[in-house]
Formats: sequence, C-alpha cells, structure tokens
Amino acid sequence: MNPRKDLITINSLSDEDIHTILQSTSAMKDIFTKSVKKVPALKGKSVLTLFYEPSTRTRSSFEVAAHRLSADVTTFTVSTSSVVKGESVHDTIDTLMSMKMDYIIVRHKNSGIPAVIARHCKAAVINAGDGSHAHPSQAFLDAFTIKEKYGEVAGRRVVIIGDILHSRVARSTSTILRRLGAEVAYMGPGPLVPPQQHTGIPRFTNWNQIFEWKPDVIYLLRVQNERIDTPFFPSADYHAAFGVTEERLRRIDDLNLSIMHPGPVNRGVEICDAAMNYRNCLINNQVENGIAARMSILYHLTPQTQSHD
Amino acid sequence: MTNTYITNATWALTGEKIDLRMGHGDEPVSIYRNGIALPGINQVTPAGEMQVPAGARTIDATGKILMPALFDLHTTISIDGHSKRECIYRAGQAANRGGVWGMLVMPSSGFIFDNTATLDSFDEAVSQRSFATMVPAGCITEGMKGEQQAPYNTLAARGVTILSDSGNMPASLLMLHRAMKYAAEMDLTFAIRGDVPCLSRNTYMHPSSTSYILGLHGTPPCAEEIGIETIIRLAKDAGVSLHVQTVSTAEGVEIIRRAKAAGMKGLTAEVALHHLLYTHEDVGDYNTTFKTTPPLRERTDCEALLAGVKDGTIDCIVTDHTPCLPFAKKQDFVSAPQGMVGLDTFLPALYTHLVKPGKLNWADVVRACSSAPVKIVNPYDREEDVPVVAPLLLFAPEEQQVVTCESLCCGTTNNPMLNSTLYGGVTLPINR
Amino acid sequence: MPTINKADIERALDAWADHLLQGWAARGSAQLGIVGIVSHGDILAQRLVKKLETAGCQAEYGAIDITLYRDDLDLRGKRPALRSSHLPFSTDDMHLVLVDDVLSTGRTARAALEVLWEYGRPARVEMHCLTDRGGRQLPIQPDYVAFDLTTASTDTVKVSLQELDGKEEIIY
Repeated sequence: MNPRKDLITINSLSDEDIHTILQSTSAMKDIFTKSVKKVPALKGKSVLTLFYEPSTRTRSSFEVAAHRLSADVTTFTVSTSSVVKGESVHDTIDTLMSMKMDYIIVRHKNSGIPAVIARHCKAAVINAGDGSHAHPSQAFLDAFTIKEKYGEVAGRRVVIIGDILHSRVARSTSTILRRLGAEVAYMGPGPLVPPQQHTGIPRFTNWNQIFEWKPDVIYLLRVQNERIDTPFFPSADYHAAFGVTEERLRRIDDLNLSIMHPGPVNRGVEICDAAMNYRNCLINNQVENGIAARMSILYHLTPQTQSHD
Repeated sequence: MTNTYITNATWALTGEKIDLRMGHGDEPVSIYRNGIALPGINQVTPAGEMQVPAGARTIDATGKILMPALFDLHTTISIDGHSKRECIYRAGQAANRGGVWGMLVMPSSGFIFDNTATLDSFDEAVSQRSFATMVPAGCITEGMKGEQQAPYNTLAARGVTILSDSGNMPASLLMLHRAMKYAAEMDLTFAIRGDVPCLSRNTYMHPSSTSYILGLHGTPPCAEEIGIETIIRLAKDAGVSLHVQTVSTAEGVEIIRRAKAAGMKGLTAEVALHHLLYTHEDVGDYNTTFKTTPPLRERTDCEALLAGVKDGTIDCIVTDHTPCLPFAKKQDFVSAPQGMVGLDTFLPALYTHLVKPGKLNWADVVRACSSAPVKIVNPYDREEDVPVVAPLLLFAPEEQQVVTCESLCCGTTNNPMLNSTLYGGVTLPINR
Repeated sequence: MPTINKADIERALDAWADHLLQGWAARGSAQLGIVGIVSHGDILAQRLVKKLETAGCQAEYGAIDITLYRDDLDLRGKRPALRSSHLPFSTDDMHLVLVDDVLSTGRTARAALEVLWEYGRPARVEMHCLTDRGGRQLPIQPDYVAFDLTTASTDTVKVSLQELDGKEEIIY
C-alpha cells in the first residue's frame, strides 16, 4: 500500500489499498488471542478522537484499537452548543495543529468536514462518519465480517435495508462490497431510497422481491429518527413493512441467510428480538472485527507529522 | 446617476473592418470602411465611407466589435468585512472589466434598501466611488425578514422600480399577495426566485448521482417549479409586473413559456449564466465554488434554459454575482455560503462559452444582457431628468486572458472560470 | 556469487533437526516449541517440526509476524504488509526455539523476543537460524547456525524456499 495520510472515503482508495487493509485486519485479529492484547506499532503516537456527534460505540472502538497499537489517546469533547457553523472547525484545526496530534479521528453531522480538516493539517485524518457521506471504517469491518463468514466477498449478494438516503453506512459499505465483487441491492421506504439512476444500485420495495433475489446477507440499517427532521413514518408501520419480523426470520433461517447491522439496534423497529439470537446473526462479529479493522486502518495511514517541526 | 463613460467630445473609431452589433439580428448592421464618428453621447452616425470629422480623436478599432455595454439585472455587491464604499468600488471596477455598465443591486447585508436614508447614502457612495451605474432594488419586506411589508410608496418616490428580497420568497403568501396588490398601483416590479422554502430547507445541491455520492440533501426541482407557478398566479391576480429570478429547471422555463403564451402582461424572467454552463457534476468532490442557489442541475436543464433564452421565454442572462470570502468558501460544503462571482468575466465568458461555440448569436447577447434588462429596470437619471442609456463598448474577440486571482477586481475569487482561458478583451468606455 | 543449493539445504536441515533432538533428549521435561518468524522462518520451522515428528519428538509449531514490533516503522514511508501470526499455545514454561532464515543485525530477533513474552513466560528461548551473515547491532548471539556466511554490509543474502519462491537456494 502506498503511503496515504487520510482515510475519508472508500472511493478514494485503490483496490490494492482495500486489499491490504483487509488482509492486515486479519493479522490484527490474531493479536486478540495473545494474553497481552497489545502491540507496540504506534508507541509514542498520539491519537485524538474528535466527535461532534455523540457515538459511544464507534468512539470506543477506535479508542480500543488505538490502545491496542500502544498509541496515546486523547478525547476531545466538543459540546454541541459551542459549535457554531463550520467556523469552529477551522478554529479547532488550529488548536489541533498546536497539540501536535498524529492521528485525528473525526465524526461530524456535516458531510465533507473530515476532508476539510485533512486538507489543513499534517495529522492523519480518519473519517468516523460525516453526515450522510461516508463511514469507511464501518465499510471495512463489514467487508471483513462477510469475508470471514464466506471466505470471499466476491459473488455474494447483500441487500441493505432502511433509510438509505441519510445513511453513510449504506454508501460506504455498498461501495466497498461492490469493489470487492459482491452484488448489492437497496430496500426501504420510498422517500428514503434514492432512485437507481443516482445510486447505480437496484432497488427493491418489498421482502418478496428480496427473497426472490436470493441474497446471502440481510444488512439492516438503524432507523435514525434523530437524523430526520420530520419523522417520515410510524415505527410500528416500518417494522411491519421493512423490519425483520419473526415470520421473516423463519424464512431467513430456512434460507440460511446472515443478518448484519451497524448497531445500535432498535428492537421492534428494524429487527425483532428473536433475530438477535439467530444463529447467523453477525452483529457481535461486526463489533469485534470493528476493532481489528480500525487497528489496520490506523496502522496503514502515515501522518506527515514526522517530517516536519 | 450620471453616465461617466463618454464625454461630449467627438470621437472617431477608425479601422478597416469594424463590426457593429446593436441587436438588430445576427448580421452586423453595416461594416464601416473608414470609421464611425461619435458626435455625442452614444450616438453612432452611420456614414458608410465617411470622412473622419475634423478635430475628432481617433481610436483604432480594427477587427473589433462595437456594441452596447451590458446591464446585469442580478448583482450582490456586499463583501463581509469590507466597507460599503469598498464594496461599491470593487463591484464597479469588476463590472467595467466584464463589459457591464450598470447593474441592479440586490439588497444584502449593509445594503438593506428598505428606507430613504440607506438609498441616499448608497447613491452618494456610488456617485463618488463607482465606475458603473448601480440601481438599487428595494426590499419587499422590512429588513428582508419576509414578514412586514417595506414602505413601497417611499421607495418608489426615491426612484426604486424593482422590489426584491434578494430572490427570497416572503414566508407568507398572504403577505406577498397583499404586497403585490399594494405595489401594483405604483408601477413597481417584483423580482422573486421561485421556491417553496419548506421543500428546500436544509438542502445543498441538485438531487443527483453527485448528491448521493457526497451525501448532500437535494433541492427538488419541484420546489422551484411550484414556487414559479405560485408567484406567477399571485402576480397575475394582483395585476403587478413580475420578474422571475434565476430559473434553473427545464420545467420552470416551460411554466413561464405557458404563462407568456397565455398573454400574461408584465412577466419577465432571467437565467444566471452559470445555470447555462454548469451541472451538478461540476460540484465534483465538494467544490464549494459550485454551490449555488438554486443549485446547478442537469445538462438537459442547461439546454432547456438556453432554448428559453433563444425563443425569448427567458428575457435576460444575469451574473447572480455573489462575492464570498475565500475563508468562507474553504469551509465544508454544508457550511460554505452559496454563490459565484461573474462580473469581471461576464462578456468574455458569454462570448467564449456561448457565442463562439454558436449556441447564441450577438443579437441574443445584446438583447438578453443589455436591451431587455435596461427595459425592465428603466434606469433614470434623476438629476438630468433623462433615461440613462447604455454606452458602447469595443470588444476584441481575438484577445485571450487567463483568469487568475490577481486579475479579478471584484474582491473575492469564487469565480468558476478561475484558471481558465477566456476569449475577448473589453474596452469600456471605448475611449479608455 | 556463491550459491548454496537444494541438496546442501536439505543436509543442513537434517543436521539441524538432529541437533534439536539431542538438546530435547538431554533436557527431558520441558515442552518444546518451534516458532518461525514469517515469512521464511515459519517454513523452516514447519519442516523441522515434521522431521522431529518422524523421529518421535512431538514439538509445538508456531509462526509469528514481527512487523508490528519493528523499531523502524517510522523510518519507512510505507507500512509493510502484515501477515497472520499463529501461536496456538501458551508459551508459559515452554522451551522455545526461534527460527529465522537470515540473522544479521539482531533487530528481528529482539522484536521476536518481545512478541514471545506477550504469549506467556517461556522457560528458555534459543535462537536458531539458517544463515548468519554477521553485522550484529545488538547483544544477540544465535544458539545454532546452519550456514555461517562471510558478507559485507552491502551484499545481499537471498534465501529461496520451495513453498514460497518455487525454488530452493541461498545466494549471497
């Protein structure tokens, strides 16, 4: 993999980059079997988590990943009330530059913010989710989880279900899976799935079409009411139309399909309680693989903080 | 507002071949072998093989085009952090470079044209600082807040002919409807952009493959189209003149075409040059220069808009000049302000991208960028008590310029043609 | 350039296995583990384990990638690719033999020792290698060397093994 400072989107990566990061994810997972679950690769390096949107899960996953690589982790708390438009991001960048951070992991509600930060600082910037744009570390852990389950991603069929319009996970995960040779389809309520001529991804409108398509993986998105200013639909209605109900779970079980979800799940909305204990539910694998994938990403990025000062 | 371009001296243009494009068709009216005498302000003496008058000063115009200067119907001049006088000076200088002699100045921060005092101080600053004629558009609502109607009678008495909240729709249609009825009797024209604010709120570009990839919420074309239909019906009912600002969709053009065909009086429309040239694809990887309101749409929309200009459905091509500081445009796409600047490059850009490739002819340009906007605004010299008439400019089509940050006079660099080569050199006034 | 051929390597591995057997027999109790350093030491370790098994000695096999423990990660512009480590046993109280193809500065061996300690506390660790080209920069000495090569620091030593490179030779 050629030296790369930042990870902002899957689109910006070469095929070689994607393969290298996936391959190293597997090596990182080996570390979890040691009694000392830590390697010295990033000893003395400083990692900053800069989350403008609350997310305990993703943030912890990155922090554990950084700790396991022996990096020092600082948590930059941004109280949402003090954030005034994008100006504060520029001010924050100046502050971060003075702190001489090597890696900055950023999450923001505005699409495109991590790219702006990356352009203006020497630290390696990792996009931990920006608006509806991209969530590349999630894409890597998803691809790795499918690869681990099926041996190869190529040739698999994955249907992503839910609010595609607002979902950075749908964008990044569909991109990496298609780059690796999988087929992806979308399903969700009309107002929340962009048309195929915009996405290039076929669109289903109901579960019968999905079962006919014979997917390998059912990938459920979280219904994010907090990201939609006006709620689009009642959640019970969503569950009946698009969720994994107990009846659909039996069908999924019969067909031996896997279930994935980026978490945290809304039980009774996108997924029924029973599905959480389904034998092919890969949600916990995703969480564990998330740490390994993020270690691999941290390891492969090369900050430009060394060559200066 | 005095015309500062040509004094009353007698001038003569000399040259083997001078094209005269006065908007009477694509063919030059006549080609003068020896020269054109200009005995007074803006008058051309058609003289065939005439003699250069004794004592006339001559200007070599070989191979150049003589045409009326342009009038931009949609300019925002305020630049954050700059004094009003500086903003006026910059816009005037930029206009001069781009072949623009006058402009309708949209109200904006620092230039809230809802009272006499602001208009007086503006006119005074313009007369001292500007190279170009600047006609202020009065506010539709007080402070452009969209709520309380501005004092139209006072504004009209001060010479205001156009009312605009810089494109924005007032929040209440009831308020707008009453305002239109009130203004109808004062012969004022409303300039509004078609929009349904609740449909376009928190949207940043055209819904498209680009908006999907970038994760930016799309502004549905129907928001603009419903808006256009709405303001047309309100204006028709109120009996007021309406100028539809910055139409960006094919269906929007069609709605205006239908209304005009149905015989609606006092209806005019404009398109911004960038909506004829660019699409959502130019946004690329969050290029904030291409963040505009309304957004850049599909190629088919560009074509429909151009057809609208050709057949007269769209009366004017405007710059929608909007200076944005580099700092502001360097923010992320969502936070960055919308708008482009275009005064500096207006005529060369029209020539390079529309006339030279044969999409428009000179008659279209003169009509859409000079005579039609002047007719809508009716600029009037209140001191001399005469209408202000467009001066002439000389355009050298073979000249080339690379647009650079240094070459732009308007004070900011959010010009989409930055670092590209444009054809055409402008001499305005012709004796510059 | 001098070359050591397939037959030479085969003979050396037999002698190497004999040496391991004798040591094991002499020490008795402690469990023996052969740990190769990827990506050539692990192949050598596999072959040695097989030879020991034929001779009736059950030794554990492990492979470790020391990339994440290198002391020069920051000096390279590009991060080296990672390979899987495979050490399916606790190293507590084990008698471990580290196996690598080329011993030179000793930095790889240092990193390998660091790795081993993170899997437990071995009773004893030996360093065995196919070639020793000299040029040590750390106080590390091998316990067993199959080929002692005399090289200058500018020379390259290239070990090719059938499983990885499709041929079997040492060129130096």
